[in-house]
Amino acid sequence: MSTPVPGYDCTIDELMAVTFSRAMSNDTRAFNGAVSFIPVCGYLLARRTHAPELVWAASSIAVDADPEEIGDSTLSDSLWGRASMLSNSPFDFWSYAQGARYNTFAFRGAQMDACGNVNNTVIGPYESPKVRLPGGGGMADLGAMIPRIYLWSSTHDPRTFVERLDFRSGMGWGDGGDHRERMGMPGGPRLCITNLCVFDFEPASKRMRLASLHPGVTADQVQEATGFEIAMPDGDVPITARPTAEELHILRTEVDPTSARRREF
Amino acid sequence: MSKVTTLEEAAASVPDGATVAIGGLSMNSAPMALVRELARQQKKDLELVAIVAGMAVDWLVAGGCVRRVLSGLVSFEGLGLAPNFRAAVQSGRVAIEEYSEHLLICRLQAQSHNLPFMPTRAGLGTDVLGLHAASGAVREEKDGPTGEHYVACTRLPVDVALVHAHEADERGTTRVNPKLVWMDNEIVNAAARTVASVERVVDTEAFTSQPERTTYPRFMIDAVAPAPRGSYPCSCFPDYGHDSGFFTAYSQAARDPETFRRFFHEQVVGPDTWDDFLAANDVSTGAPA
Repeated sequence: MSTPVPGYDCTIDELMAVTFSRAMSNDTRAFNGAVSFIPVCGYLLARRTHAPELVWAASSIAVDADPEEIGDSTLSDSLWGRASMLSNSPFDFWSYAQGARYNTFAFRGAQMDACGNVNNTVIGPYESPKVRLPGGGGMADLGAMIPRIYLWSSTHDPRTFVERLDFRSGMGWGDGGDHRERMGMPGGPRLCITNLCVFDFEPASKRMRLASLHPGVTADQVQEATGFEIAMPDGDVPITARPTAEELHILRTEVDPTSARRREF
Repeated sequence: MSKVTTLEEAAASVPDGATVAIGGLSMNSAPMALVRELARQQKKDLELVAIVAGMAVDWLVAGGCVRRVLSGLVSFEGLGLAPNFRAAVQSGRVAIEEYSEHLLICRLQAQSHNLPFMPTRAGLGTDVLGLHAASGAVREEKDGPTGEHYVACTRLPVDVALVHAHEADERGTTRVNPKLVWMDNEIVNAAARTVASVERVVDTEAFTSQPERTTYPRFMIDAVAPAPRGSYPCSCFPDYGHDSGFFTAYSQAARDPETFRRFFHEQVVGPDTWDDFLAANDVSTGAPA
C-alpha cells in the first residue's frame, strides 16, 4: 500500500522516509533494530544528501553499510553490503550504546502513548494477554540509554496511539516532565513521524505536540485518530515540508530501489 | 578423544527439564539442526534461554518440549509473529519470563563472570522490571556513592548452550567465520556445557595456522555435531541467507491446526536425518559457495 500524498509528487512512505532523513544530522550515530524500513531509508538518504558524515550500523552490526537494496529483514546480513566493519553485539555494540557513542535510535510499538513510551509485549492484561506480541527486545534497553530517540508509525489510529499502554516495553519520556532526568537517562524522544503528521514533544510536560500536518490532513483528523489529547503549538500548524525531486530520486533509485519501505504499510 | 558426534547423540545428551540456551539472533545463525533433533526426541519441560529468537523457539513449542521461555523477543520480524509461541503463551501452556535483550545478556554475564550481579541501565523505566519483583532476578537499585540508578542482573545458570558455527576440529576448537557478530559467546560462557553444530569439521591445522581467527577455545566446547546448512531456515552469514519462503509457508500452515500438524511432520520433525530434512525443503546439500 502506498497512498499518494495530495499535491506532493510522492507517496506517504516516501514522505515519512524523507521527513525522517531531514531530522538526521552530520553528527548522527545510529543503528537499527527489527522491521525498521523507514528509519533505514532515512539514515541512508540523509547520508547521501545533507549528512555525509552520519554513522549508521546496519542491524546494529555493520558500520557504514551501503547495501545495494534493502531486503525483507532489517536485522539480516542482506543489509550489510560495503560495510567498513562488522561489529560484535556483546563486545562492541552494547558498549557503544550504553556509553552513548551511538546517539540515535528509532523504535515503534503496537501501542504508543503521549509521552512516547511504547508497548510491543502484550495487548490486554500481561497474565492473560489477548495478543502475545514479540516482546520488547532491545527497546527496553535502548530507551534508557540513547539520547536521541525517534518514533514512527504507519498506523496512526486510536488502537496504536493510546492514553494508557497495556505494558511499557520501551521508555520514552516515561511519566513525562523530568522523569528521564531523575532516572539519569540522557535526552529522550524528539519526534514521532506518522502517516498523518509529525509530533514533537511539549518541553515541560513531554507530551506529543503537533509539529506538522501532512498535506490534506487536519488537526481534527489527527485528534480523532489519537487516543490521548494532543498538545497544540502556539500559532498555526505548518504543513510537513515537501520532499525535493532530488531526495525522491535518490530514495527511489539508490537507497531503496525495491521499495522495501512499503513493507511497513 | 574426539568431540565429534552426531546430531542425534548431541541432542540425546540434553535431559528433560534442562535449561537450554539457544544461539543466534532472530532469523540468523540459530542452531536449527540441533533444535530439530530436540523436537524429534520429544524432550519435555525444557526451559529455553533465547535472547532474541524466532523459529527455534517456535519449533520446540510446537513439539511440546517447552515449559518456560526466558527471552527478550520472539518473532519472525516483518514476516509475522511466531505462531505457536504466541498461542502457547496466550493459553498459558508455556510460561514466559520476560526480559529485554541486555537484561538477559547481563544475567548471563553475571553467571559467566561468577559475580552476584551485573549492572546495566537496561530496562529502567519499563514494566519489565516489575515482573521480577518477587524473584529479584533483576532488580532496580541505586548506587549509594553516586546516586545512579541501575538494574542488578543476577546469575542465570544454564545447563546446555546450543550454537551453530562454521567449523570446528575434533578437539572442539571452533570458529565462526569470519567473526562472531551475534551474542552466542554470552550463552557459551554462561553454560555448564556447550554443543556446537558446525558446517564442517576441519583439521586442527586450520586453527593453529590462524589462531587469531578462533572463536571458542576447545575447553569451552563439549561436543561438535556436523550439520551442513545447519541453521536452515535461518541464515549463516556469509555462507547463506535466511529462507523467507520457509517462514511464510510455516506461518500460513499455522493458521489451521490440522494443516500445521501435517506441515510440521512432513517438513520439520518427520524426516529421519538432517539431509532428509533439507531434501524435504528443497535445499541443496552441496557445499556452500
